[in-house]
Amino acid sequence: METVIETRALTKRFGSRAAVDGVNLVVPAGVAFGFLGPNGAGKTTMIRTLLGLTKASSGQVSLLGLPQPAKRREALARVGAIVEEPRFHPHLTGRENLKIVAAARDHAAAGRIDESLARVGLAQRAGDRVKTYSLGMRQRLGIARCLLADPQLLILDEPMNGLDPAGILEMRHLIRAFVDEGRTVFLSSHLLDEVEKTCDQVAIVDLGRVILQGNVADIASSGDPTLLLEVDDLAKARTVLAAETRITKIEDEARELRLTLADGLSPAEVNRVLVEAGIAVSRLEPARATLEEKFLAVTSRLEGNE
Amino acid sequence: MNLIAAEVLKLRRRRGLMAWSALLTVGAVLIAEIIIVTLHAVNPDHHGPAGGKTNLENYVFLLAGLGNVAAILIGSTAGTQDVSNGVFRDLVVTGRKRRTLFYVRVPGALLVFLPMLAVGLAVAIGGAYAFAGTNESPSTSYVLHSIAYVLAITVIDVVLAIGLAAFVSSRIVVGVLIAWNAIVSHLLIAIGALGGARKLIDVAAAEHFAPASSGNSRVAVTGATAVLVLIVWAAVALTAGRWWTQRRDA
Repeated sequence: METVIETRALTKRFGSRAAVDGVNLVVPAGVAFGFLGPNGAGKTTMIRTLLGLTKASSGQVSLLGLPQPAKRREALARVGAIVEEPRFHPHLTGRENLKIVAAARDHAAAGRIDESLARVGLAQRAGDRVKTYSLGMRQRLGIARCLLADPQLLILDEPMNGLDPAGILEMRHLIRAFVDEGRTVFLSSHLLDEVEKTCDQVAIVDLGRVILQGNVADIASSGDPTLLLEVDDLAKARTVLAAETRITKIEDEARELRLTLADGLSPAEVNRVLVEAGIAVSRLEPARATLEEKFLAVTSRLEGNE
Repeated sequence: MNLIAAEVLKLRRRRGLMAWSALLTVGAVLIAEIIIVTLHAVNPDHHGPAGGKTNLENYVFLLAGLGNVAAILIGSTAGTQDVSNGVFRDLVVTGRKRRTLFYVRVPGALLVFLPMLAVGLAVAIGGAYAFAGTNESPSTSYVLHSIAYVLAITVIDVVLAIGLAAFVSSRIVVGVLIAWNAIVSHLLIAIGALGGARKLIDVAAAEHFAPASSGNSRVAVTGATAVLVLIVWAAVALTAGRWWTQRRDA
């Protein structure tokens, strides 16, 4: 498996506080990778450390297979990044701002300015000063700036921040289009829904540590299966099911019960137990865990450990 | 070259900075000349011609004083704008060395400042000859000294401003350097007890290049010493600025 980002025991300390704490991260090529965590989890510090904007306290980083910081220039030549909110010289136009960054890149970068502006839908406003741009336009200009590198890897720090629903949808399509082109998108976010909709793989991070890492679908479906149950007599059903040892948890949810099953107990067996007890079952539905539930579960587990 | 062109673009597009800098360099000399020409035309018995050696001396010191402020404004802006606009990190992320990103500010700022200064000098020197009238015209040597003096006293401040701007905001840079040039350095130069140590003051070194008739070179400094002192000031400022630019988080 080709990896575009690999860290080993990466740590960044500010005094005694570890903002990034021994992170081992592997991001494969050609995917949208979500770096998910609550505000203050260390996402931006991690990105800043990956890009060499701040020095790591310890640990190793490799970008596009090149060790950092030893091969920094070679690696960053094919990396585009937005760190925190995209910032620009407000007195310059969108195109001029891209010229500034293109000048710091290779000669081909200047030739990609128009193409990049068109790609993000800013060709018509490229001659306007950036101080007249909305936040959404700045986000798109930030993406255009990333594209100057013709990047193999895009690192986007909270790219959905401040965008309206249409802007979020547009950004999601853009990110998926980049992945379809074979690029890798490393996307940090605290928006669980967006990561779930946009990313193929995810790492959940909190307090500077990566808690879970893997495919979004696998993480969401991991753990014990759950069932949503609608019956004619909820109280009786609760009593009957409480006697079943392979049901580890019964939760009331409005007019239904949520059951957590263990030891291979199947929905069919649950149905049989209820019917045999004279309870009419009107709905029995396997519940798909969302990334949000998994996220809350793992982060609260972490808090519980402290 | 692309990076230098980018620095020039960033500065040139600042309308306020460009307007003030043009006013402080070209505008100030031009206004002074127009006033003196007008006064001479209206009352030639009371007001002498606007040109000649004496008037060139006045124009040169006007240009040195106000051009100096323009130099500081341009240098401090060049030194701070990437960081203050939050763009420095985006330049670092291109993989360019921070050292390069810092040093390129010097030619960028000079390419913006020097053409204005050149026009200001051209107006001053041209006026000195064109409106000399009965006044003694300046010699070539005098003109060269004038140019050298204005260059020395302003270019060093472009460099100092860029170096200092790596540490503090542009407003602080402007305040500190204007205070240094207008007050502090002159106070130190005036303290005779400091003796030869005064040669180490950049303003004293720059004054070595002032036209001979000005009598403003209050510390005896050889040409070689003056050049060396200015180089050391520039080197210290740039080394410190580069060091901090490399060390700080972007």
